Amino acid sequence: MMHSDTLIARAREGDKNAQGKLVQLWYKRIYNFSYKFFFDHDMAMEVAQKTFISMHKNLSGLQEVTRFKSWLYTIAVNYCREETRKKKASRSSSLHDLNPGEGEESYHWEESHQRHENPERQLRHSELSDLLQKCLMELNAEQREVVIMKEYEGLKFREIAEALNISENTVKSRMYYGLDGLKKILEQKKITKETIGYEL
Amino acid sequence: MNYKPDESALMAYLYGELNDKEKAKLENYFQQHPEELTRLRTLGEVRDIMAHAQDKEVIAPPVFVDDVGTRSLWQSSYFKVSLGIAASILFLLVAGKLLGPEINYSKGELRISFGNKVEQQVTPANPLTEEKVKELISSSLASNNELQKNLKDEDQKKLVHSLVEMNSRKMDALAKNASQASREQVQSFVAGLQEQNLKLMQDYFQLSTAEQKKYMESMLTDFSGYLQEQRKQDLQLVQSKMNYLEKNSNQLKQETEQILTSLISNPNRNKNNY
Repeated sequence: MMHSDTLIARAREGDKNAQGKLVQLWYKRIYNFSYKFFFDHDMAMEVAQKTFISMHKNLSGLQEVTRFKSWLYTIAVNYCREETRKKKASRSSSLHDLNPGEGEESYHWEESHQRHENPERQLRHSELSDLLQKCLMELNAEQREVVIMKEYEGLKFREIAEALNISENTVKSRMYYGLDGLKKILEQKKITKETIGYEL
Repeated sequence: MNYKPDESALMAYLYGELNDKEKAKLENYFQQHPEELTRLRTLGEVRDIMAHAQDKEVIAPPVFVDDVGTRSLWQSSYFKVSLGIAASILFLLVAGKLLGPEINYSKGELRISFGNKVEQQVTPANPLTEEKVKELISSSLASNNELQKNLKDEDQKKLVHSLVEMNSRKMDALAKNASQASREQVQSFVAGLQEQNLKLMQDYFQLSTAEQKKYMESMLTDFSGYLQEQRKQDLQLVQSKMNYLEKNSNQLKQETEQILTSLISNPNRNKNNY
């Protein structure tokens, strides 16, 4: 577990250090949830910032500290949906939409993962990761948010149901059809365990 | 047994969130329907593949805590602004006291000053005359022309250099190709060249012979015409000479006859004269 209930309780009571610690602990998770949802660094950063500003403002209203995780993801999901609506309304595309991750203003400068690893292997991992991310983007938003929460964020079905304010059965159903959809997408793109093993 | 698990049960089983009773029931179902288990395992493989999508590393931004509740009066922005205004007014008052303020209003201009008025001599700005402007324009044009000329020269040099370089590259490529050719290719090339030369020579000789024949014919024709013309002219000359001789002989004959006639008619006179 990344944090204790005590930390959340202290943050809820207005302890600024505890709130700062919560941001440090959860920022990466919320950023990655949003990144996988949008496959866009700028939008993920936007959602992460808004989520933690909202957390700071509304943490005192959290009833049960045990529900902090699902509560935080609820905020993140709502901002993701809001950004999606805005994007649909504006229909504008940034340079990152066209070619994410390239250029001098790329976000890679602030990434620091796996620097110790073989660069070639790291590149292949990164390319595979982007390819799988594109597969994920082919799912509809409802299935995508459930798959991300379950597969990458490790939430229980109950926590996802709380975060999305739907029943557990609906969550499981979306998960089932999400995985089934991914299976078809992977088959179309001829991505199997064997091909991945060969590439890596 | 009519039990058939729904998607919820399958997902709960896949993620290990099924209670023991339901789990046993489902495993029993899988024993009877292994194809369903296989299908579920393919979804498990999808999970394995999707697990290769990595997390992005980000650095959480620094958190600036807005500690409103414990802020003192000295730290409030209202106090700081008020203090700033008061300090400015105090500064003006002290400056006014020490230097003596002067406030005047003339020609729509309000002037607040401290201390004695210093008359500043405003030196007239150097006016630009028409000649100076023309001079500036001409110098600018001259420099521009020079720049253009330099650029042109430079471009020309670059062009020549690039042409030389390109030609040398082509020559190199040709030489390289030639050096890469095999013996058979060279022989066939030389044979083709010889054949072509032979054909060219044959054509040339054929053409040359026909031209010479035609020239000789025309020359002979011209020569016979010349001979006939010459003969005709010679005959005319001989004829005229003959006529002249005949005329002279007739004249001589007539003179002889006259002399003889005169001698015969006057024999005495001729004798006395002797």
